[in-house]
Amino acid sequence: MLTITNLHAGYGKVEVLHGISLEVPKGRVVTLIGSNGAGKTTTMRAISGMIAPSEGRITLGNDDITGRESHRIARLGLAHSPEGRRVFATMSVTDNLRLGAFARYTGARPKGDIAADLERAMEYFPRLKERRTQLAGTLSGGEQQMLAMARAMMMNPEVVLLDEPSMGLAPILVDEVFRIIARLRQEGVTMLLVEQFAAAALNVADYGYVLENGRIAVHGPADKLKNDPAVKAAYLGGH
Amino acid sequence: MNRSPIAANAWRSLAVLGVVALALFPFAVGNSYYTHLVETILIYAIVLFGLDIVVGYTGQVSLGHAGLFGIGAYTAGVLVLKLSAPIWVALPAAIAVSALFGALLALPALRVTGPYLAMVTLAFGTIIQILINEMTFLTEGPMGIKVSKPELFGHRLDETEFFWLVGVMLIASLVFVHRVLRSQLGRAFEALRGSPVAADCMGVSVYRYKVYAFVISAGLAGLAGALYAYSEQYISPNTYNFELTVMFLLAIIMGGRKTRTGAILGAAIIVMLPKLLDDIDLFRWVSVAFAVLATIGAAALLARGKSTLKNVAIPVAGSIALAALSFTLTTMADWRLSIFGLITLFVVYFLQDGIVGFVRGALSVEGRARTGAEPAREVEVVAPQEAVVRAQGAATPQLLAADKVLMQFGGLKALNEVDLRVKRGTIHGLIGPNGSGKSTMMNVLTGIYVPTAGSIEFEGRSVVGRSSSDIALSGIARTFQNVQLFGEMTALQNVMVGLHHTYRSHLLDIALHTARYRRERDQSTARARALLEVVGLAELAGEQARNLPYGKQRLLEIARALALDPQLLLLDEPAAGLTAPDIKELIAIIQKIRAQGITVILIEHHMDVVMSICDMVTVLDFGQKIAEGVPSAVQSNPKVIEAYLGGDVAVEALA
Repeated sequence: MLTITNLHAGYGKVEVLHGISLEVPKGRVVTLIGSNGAGKTTTMRAISGMIAPSEGRITLGNDDITGRESHRIARLGLAHSPEGRRVFATMSVTDNLRLGAFARYTGARPKGDIAADLERAMEYFPRLKERRTQLAGTLSGGEQQMLAMARAMMMNPEVVLLDEPSMGLAPILVDEVFRIIARLRQEGVTMLLVEQFAAAALNVADYGYVLENGRIAVHGPADKLKNDPAVKAAYLGGH
Repeated sequence: MNRSPIAANAWRSLAVLGVVALALFPFAVGNSYYTHLVETILIYAIVLFGLDIVVGYTGQVSLGHAGLFGIGAYTAGVLVLKLSAPIWVALPAAIAVSALFGALLALPALRVTGPYLAMVTLAFGTIIQILINEMTFLTEGPMGIKVSKPELFGHRLDETEFFWLVGVMLIASLVFVHRVLRSQLGRAFEALRGSPVAADCMGVSVYRYKVYAFVISAGLAGLAGALYAYSEQYISPNTYNFELTVMFLLAIIMGGRKTRTGAILGAAIIVMLPKLLDDIDLFRWVSVAFAVLATIGAAALLARGKSTLKNVAIPVAGSIALAALSFTLTTMADWRLSIFGLITLFVVYFLQDGIVGFVRGALSVEGRARTGAEPAREVEVVAPQEAVVRAQGAATPQLLAADKVLMQFGGLKALNEVDLRVKRGTIHGLIGPNGSGKSTMMNVLTGIYVPTAGSIEFEGRSVVGRSSSDIALSGIARTFQNVQLFGEMTALQNVMVGLHHTYRSHLLDIALHTARYRRERDQSTARARALLEVVGLAELAGEQARNLPYGKQRLLEIARALALDPQLLLLDEPAAGLTAPDIKELIAIIQKIRAQGITVILIEHHMDVVMSICDMVTVLDFGQKIAEGVPSAVQSNPKVIEAYLGGDVAVEALA
């Protein structure tokens, strides 16, 4: 579904990614693991068009999306739930979710039943249902994180990029987020996941890539990576 | 990152060459018209140096600078007219009076920003113009004032000599502004733009430094205004109108903000362009030259792979079209304004970093301000272990005592009568579900919110009602849940903003680079480097904060907070987004901080971090304290498990 070949990207003069290749097959959950500054978020940003790659190719389905503008990439069915809380602070929770379905209102994406999806999103995240009329900016950090995730789902996307969905969440909610990811996977949602809790990410993923200093160091099926001694020591480690 | 001696020498020779060229200019052209034209450019450049402080550095908009310029001109004019004041009285008086009005103009900037501020400053400029017009008893009203060239040491300056005087003033202003902007003041101005909240919490009062920026800026406008009065030898109210103020702003945008070269270039453009558009032959030549430059620039960008054909096609085609158009025109008169508008639109739209920014980008030349490196004259080096200043012990074991703190937002009680007591030298964990009031507590402790009720005592002194910067200076430093760095500043400069409190030197010290200022600057640079080393960011000192990965940004916030020499450090989710190995490093850093006797309040969702380093843990839920005790007791508390930990599954399975 999503294929990256020899991707080079960075900020200004600094190149962060030195030629990475990866694949997210349809209906699969793929996770990207690595330490801080390895290039996980940069990869996500390059895919969704927030930064322009200097080299390489990114395709979504049959479309070449390399270096295209974010809104065009989104209309082709790529939803990005970004790192940090980027919700529309002065709009209500419901309006934030509706904006997630913007491309469906305009006809750029198949319309389907938006109202039903809205209810489904609220059912996934009961906290959002309680606060549906509240302004997003007044939500707690964790609630904003959930809203960003739910908003991404509202597009009915081909591929979802989830960047650190559990960041800043209470342990009880972290658990909840992973349960939701597992449920989405069962429903056949295609996902690329970046997570601080690498072990938990490998538990819900089909396949994993380990990113080191802007290069793919190891990749393989999730359960295999989970038991790889080198990966275990470096990223899953009992701290 | 330090400039090589060769580059420094090259710059110095270039500067000397520039000064010589400027001095010889009147002889070279031998035409007083052109001398006067360049003189006007130099005078405008002084205004723009000042305006750039407000617009480029603090990120405020001002449409009032023509008014300030007018105040300077009229202060000099009136003093000469009424009192026959000599120039050495008129210039300082113009600076002082304009600076005073600058402080006045800063008042609205403290309350409103963006378009609102633009409107208010615009009104200010208009009122000044009207006042000059109406106060006939002082200003002679619409009649204007005649001012002859000044006398210096009993000798009346001629055109050329006055040109030199303006040249000297320009260089003095340039050096002054350059020094101010590279000092702690300049960093404070930039910090305001980057994140006002963080600036306040670093002890840099947003209130005070906004006023400061406007005052310095206005002083320069006043100086320029006075020089303008002498230069034109006649002043009248309608010079200082809306058009001039827009021109000033346009010059900053076209030249490029945050650069002195850009200000001079911008001044040249706004003075020359209208003249240029009067003369069809000249216009033809310049538009051809411009088209050639645009094509070369685009080719350079393409060759370096910095842009795509699609992106450069329109500007190149536009500049060529303009050149072609210039040859089809027979007269300029009808087209002047349209072409002026087109050129402006073009620059603003395509060269958003201004001309200087564009050239730098095309040639990959990084401005000094951008690399942000302090020059290589660090006489001293601070060892990392000495970078974190030891907290002073005191008789009382209790550092912080919050009693029945109530924080109400409308009907919502974000904090409902919470008590919090923190012992000196401990790490106190603050945990709880999302939305339980932890971050609100941080904001109350640091003065961002004033609690609805309750008392907070830090070191036996009440915190309630004091400003954030005051609280910060009394020893409470913090990091932010949503990282609040000064994005355009380098990692090193971010930490140096935290060291702002170590400076005692004032504006005069900075302008003259006195021994005191140089010593403080070297000390704080060395300390900032050492602090970066403490958090493991030494190698990224010259990198802009916004380009750092998220986890490193969090560490930079810790280094910046430590620069305040705090007694109490509040860490808001420092481990968020960190993977296992990064968390180990973070724990080591927090332990180092405690070893220096600094008390820490830690908000964190990573239970392994909380459990391994906290001495005491307080748990909040729905704004109320539901548990408190040593980590192991809290962890097994059924209420905490139910509200927060969610049984044993969550923590163990995910850690």
